[in-house]
Amino acid sequence: MRGEGGDKGKRGSGEVGLRGAFRRALSTVRRIAGMPDYSAHVEHLRRYHPDRPVPTQRQFYDEFTRSRYGDGPTRCC
Amino acid sequence: MVLKKLGWLALAMAGAVAWGVLALHQGETISAAWLVLAAVGTYLLAYRFYSRFLATKVFGLNDRRATPAERLMNGRDFVPTSRWVLFGHHFAAIAGAGPLVGPVLAAQFGYLPGTIWIVFGVVLGGAVQDFVILFGSMRRDGKSLGQMAKEETGPITGILAMVAVLAIMVILLAVLALVVVNALKDSPWGIFTILCTIPIAILMGFWMKVWRPGRTLEASIVGVVLLLLALVGGRYVAGSAGLAPYFTASGLTIAYGMIAYGFVASVLPVWMLLCPRDYLSTFMKIGTILLLAVGILIALPPLKLPALTRFIDGTGPVFAGKLFPFAFITIACGAISGFHALVASGTTPKMLTRESDARLIGYGGMLMESFVAVMALCAAALLEPGVYFAINAPLSTLGGSLESAVGVIRNWGFTVTPEQLQGLASAVGEKSLLGRTGGAPSLAVGMAHIFSSAFGSGLMALWYHFAIMFEALFILTTIDTGTRVGRFMLQELAGHVWRPLGRTSWYPSTVLASGLVVAGWGYFLVQGVLDPLGGINSLWPLFGISNQLLAAVALCVGTTLIIKSGRARYAWVTLLPLCGVLTVTLTAGWQKIFAADPRLGFLSHAASVTSQVAAGAVDTSRAARLIFNDRLDAVLTMIFIVVTVLVVLSSAREWVLILTRRKPARVQESPFVETAYAG
Repeated sequence: MRGEGGDKGKRGSGEVGLRGAFRRALSTVRRIAGMPDYSAHVEHLRRYHPDRPVPTQRQFYDEFTRSRYGDGPTRCC
Repeated sequence: MVLKKLGWLALAMAGAVAWGVLALHQGETISAAWLVLAAVGTYLLAYRFYSRFLATKVFGLNDRRATPAERLMNGRDFVPTSRWVLFGHHFAAIAGAGPLVGPVLAAQFGYLPGTIWIVFGVVLGGAVQDFVILFGSMRRDGKSLGQMAKEETGPITGILAMVAVLAIMVILLAVLALVVVNALKDSPWGIFTILCTIPIAILMGFWMKVWRPGRTLEASIVGVVLLLLALVGGRYVAGSAGLAPYFTASGLTIAYGMIAYGFVASVLPVWMLLCPRDYLSTFMKIGTILLLAVGILIALPPLKLPALTRFIDGTGPVFAGKLFPFAFITIACGAISGFHALVASGTTPKMLTRESDARLIGYGGMLMESFVAVMALCAAALLEPGVYFAINAPLSTLGGSLESAVGVIRNWGFTVTPEQLQGLASAVGEKSLLGRTGGAPSLAVGMAHIFSSAFGSGLMALWYHFAIMFEALFILTTIDTGTRVGRFMLQELAGHVWRPLGRTSWYPSTVLASGLVVAGWGYFLVQGVLDPLGGINSLWPLFGISNQLLAAVALCVGTTLIIKSGRARYAWVTLLPLCGVLTVTLTAGWQKIFAADPRLGFLSHAASVTSQVAAGAVDTSRAARLIFNDRLDAVLTMIFIVVTVLVVLSSAREWVLILTRRKPARVQESPFVETAYAG
């Protein structure tokens, strides 16, 4: 598990220019709202677990939603 | 260096001047600018100096130490996240209806007590609680409050904490549902808009899951646009003689509708209703709060409420009880909220990139929520006091007509005319605003004032219903997520009794547990709707007491963590707010049960109903229900008190054992691993 760090949480990197900036902005909004970030997950798998299968967008969405509402409060009063 | 120090000194002086103006002001109105300046000045100083002291001296945050997000990174829940993104995420999770409603209700004492408690309560209490729990959970791979209580102070404390959380959840859901009921009854515009959110959420659910899998942002944009269309459509519905009756409902009908909704939402798969609704309300929440902040800064409205009202003596119509302890109970979220301990020990600690980020997110996030409470207070305080009391006093106190209400309010010493009240009601597109207790309608009137004076007038009605929709939307989100969480907790507890009941995927167990949770809060909701005093009167203090008793539990856990880490000399940072919350809540709890005034004490109210029956003033079946509810509320309050006192005592025993060296001071933290991140 150790030594996986190094990117300091920046996602959607590698793209430059307006398009890249737009994607990064979308990714930021998603993560503030607590939404799944598919491309970030794929990038994570490619970089650290190249042996594992890459889920489809839909599989990832299902799994994320399940784990997010699995247990414990996510919202306050 | 010198220049920087001079800057902080200037800020401190500006803050002090603002506090002075707020406290000593005499005269008709005072600008909201003083309130904002006093609050923001205090926040900045507290963040710069006190939270730094907590971070470095008390907790010893260490950026060399790898966080759970780094060590356990899985790209899903353990994700190193940049601190401002996480700040936004954490804030969206902790801010809800609580900080908006509490300050509005507490405005019955005037603007000053609420402001002082919100600002100093958060700086010394609420933000410290959030920070210490976030820190503790971060050092333990994101463990929950209950798990930390269990590991650090023993299994009994853990189970007690779980029972307390479940009971608090039931009261929280009931009181928030009651706020929505009171805002929507006899309001076809409001009901139409809120009903529309259900098909909109389902549409979004199918969009994200079936039609365009994973396209959450796209679906959310569609959802927000449809929601705004529904808001505009509501005006047409309310104005149409043919459609309006279909969307006009009594409080009781709405209450039963919400109970049915809560049950269905808890049993349905999350992707269909709960998850899309959560996204929708998150965007609306962040957007509206930003809009409100900008609006207040542009408008800087004059506050018409006096600094203190005569109701500090405990005779107020909004809720019973004196300034101490009830100002502190009424404003729970915004100053200190035990519920945050559940969020701060859930998702957020798994996303911190560096240990030092916990300062901005734990302490800073709570300061931000406190500022939301300050804005809500401004929105209530800019109303004419007479208008404020006409909206927030129960109908049974005001009498049925505008004339009687105006008479009652004059007797309290505030001037208001029937034309003024009628004019305001029609300006916001409602038949009447009299006796709309619960805080949401008066907050919406205040917000509509701010928005229309900041962004152009003429749209009062639209802004009012926008504000109502915004509050109802995220209260309903709290209700469906809360019912679901309550269901999981009940299943976990029931699993100790009979194992199959603990399986969250077993359908009969799911239906049974959901039904029980919904029945629990539904019961209190219906009783609140039927209550002649409007229900908020007895339920809101109960919620405030329970929420702050949960804060006491969290502060106990925090104190244990600090003492076990060998920094007992700094334990006052949590012991001080712990003593404060205990004093306030135990006094309030005791008064709610035993006070001789039947408006305040549950038991004396039951006794007064009994004597009314003897005099023939109340029929026996209604009296039996009122008496039963009084006793139930009294027992519930007693349970909260006993559970909390037990947690405090068992924690204190642990502290004494460690301090007298009869037990080694050893924390159950995850072992130190050096970070791989540079700098």
